[in-house]
Amino acid sequence: MSVTSGTQSTGEVQAEESAHDQDAPLARVSYTRSIAARVLPPALAVFSIVAIWWVLHQIFSDLLPSPADTAAAAVNLLSDGTFFFHMFQSLRRVFVGFAIAMAFSVAVGIYMGTVQAGERFFQPLVVLGLTIPGLMWSLIAVMLFGINEVAPYFAVAATIFPMLVINIWAGVKAMDKELIDMSSVFRFSPSQKIRQVITPQLVPNIFAATRYGLGLAWKVVVVVEMFGTGDGVGFQVMRSYQIFDMQAVIAWTLTFVLAMILIEYGLINLIERRMTAWRPKVDVWRR
Amino acid sequence: MARLEVSDAQKWFRREDGRSMKVLDRASFELREGSVTALIGPSGCGKTTLLNAIVGLERLDGGDLVFRNDDGQQQSRPLIGYVFQGPRLLPWKRVGDNIRLALQGANVPREEWETRVHKYLDLAGLSEFVDQYPLYLSGGQRQRVGLARALAIESGLVLMDEPFASVDELTARQLRETSRALCEQLHRTVLFVTHNLSEAAYMSDYVVVLSGRPARVQEYVENSLPTPRRWGPEVHQFAAELEGKLSSTQEAIA
Repeated sequence: MSVTSGTQSTGEVQAEESAHDQDAPLARVSYTRSIAARVLPPALAVFSIVAIWWVLHQIFSDLLPSPADTAAAAVNLLSDGTFFFHMFQSLRRVFVGFAIAMAFSVAVGIYMGTVQAGERFFQPLVVLGLTIPGLMWSLIAVMLFGINEVAPYFAVAATIFPMLVINIWAGVKAMDKELIDMSSVFRFSPSQKIRQVITPQLVPNIFAATRYGLGLAWKVVVVVEMFGTGDGVGFQVMRSYQIFDMQAVIAWTLTFVLAMILIEYGLINLIERRMTAWRPKVDVWRR
Repeated sequence: MARLEVSDAQKWFRREDGRSMKVLDRASFELREGSVTALIGPSGCGKTTLLNAIVGLERLDGGDLVFRNDDGQQQSRPLIGYVFQGPRLLPWKRVGDNIRLALQGANVPREEWETRVHKYLDLAGLSEFVDQYPLYLSGGQRQRVGLARALAIESGLVLMDEPFASVDELTARQLRETSRALCEQLHRTVLFVTHNLSEAAYMSDYVVVLSGRPARVQEYVENSLPTPRRWGPEVHQFAAELEGKLSSTQEAIA
């Protein structure tokens, strides 16, 4: 992993890079090593889960389908034209609900972290919100709004909002007061303060909240879809459950998990890397 | 003419046990137009508090701050350039953008931004780093960006709080030379806090010696060393004089 200390000048960084360019074989070795270091641990993690699953299948072969059969069923699903329709419906519900919750969370989190009255007002509500299960919100949403698109959006937003707020609020409280003072001295406008000083400091909290929030949103969407919609992955899982088709239940779950992994590695990681490009890489365990 | 008059400044802080603690006790002095004034005093006597009050980050509990514009007219608190103890740059913004944001806050017309960014980074010797992120610069370079930002808003009044305390002595010496030369060249009125008496002797035209907490102005000393300043025995001699005055202040407390 490349290491750039905070005190290194650009000149030094560039000199270091050009030295690496001249030393091509060494660069190739370290590149291969870095790819291996990046790919091997997650591959090992997936492999161990499949191995445990396979062992369980050997023990409970009547109940649990084998990983290979399930993978084949998942591939079959993909070749079915309706798969992408259902997947798209679920993903849309996850992302719209999540986006609504995130927009409110950033506003409320910043308000709670910067205005004492805001903290006193929202803190009991947030704690209360954390104790209400997603299933309750799903039931309430379907009873309130009926079988339509508002129900999953509301259920997702209401369930994940308190958790997102807690993250953003913690981030605001841990903010660097000296940078806020600097922005006051140089008379940044309130919008400049929020966009240029406060929000960038919340990036790690926003990404942590995004990862956790998307996972939670998916769980809520599945529940709402089971009894409150006529399409989506949850609806399909419920249909498979009603005919006790374990292989289909796991196959649908598996495809959704794969979609979420693609979003994590293809989208969230990419955006995060772009947004934290200003930070030099540090190898904490270097010796 | 005075750019800023500090009269009978008083400040109390509330301690955790609920009792109040007096930090500034009727401190009075003035900053003369185009001069560099050093503020020295024992640790914790309220120097930074005074700077924060001048810049508007803290409110005084008594006394007055009278700001004057270029024509000597009294005015409300103007925009003030501030060099902090650390660089206090936004690490996610490139060097140029850090300065542009200050220019935007100062309502400088957008069409002037590029000229000012390049002018002041040039003066600070950092023009090639305009597109770099601050964390890729050395500590001294970052501090110079902080100096360029404070000067770029072209306020007549600049405050510096131990601006070179966080860098090594060689870099600090270069920064002192650059700062003094820039302030002379740009005719800025500067108030700076320092614990380094050689720095006070080299950079200042006037020195305000504060007593220990609660801080009063113990002495107001004129620095008669010739300008442009050169490092030499005269600077060290004046620093020794200042040390004597500071020691007598501390003995008086004891």
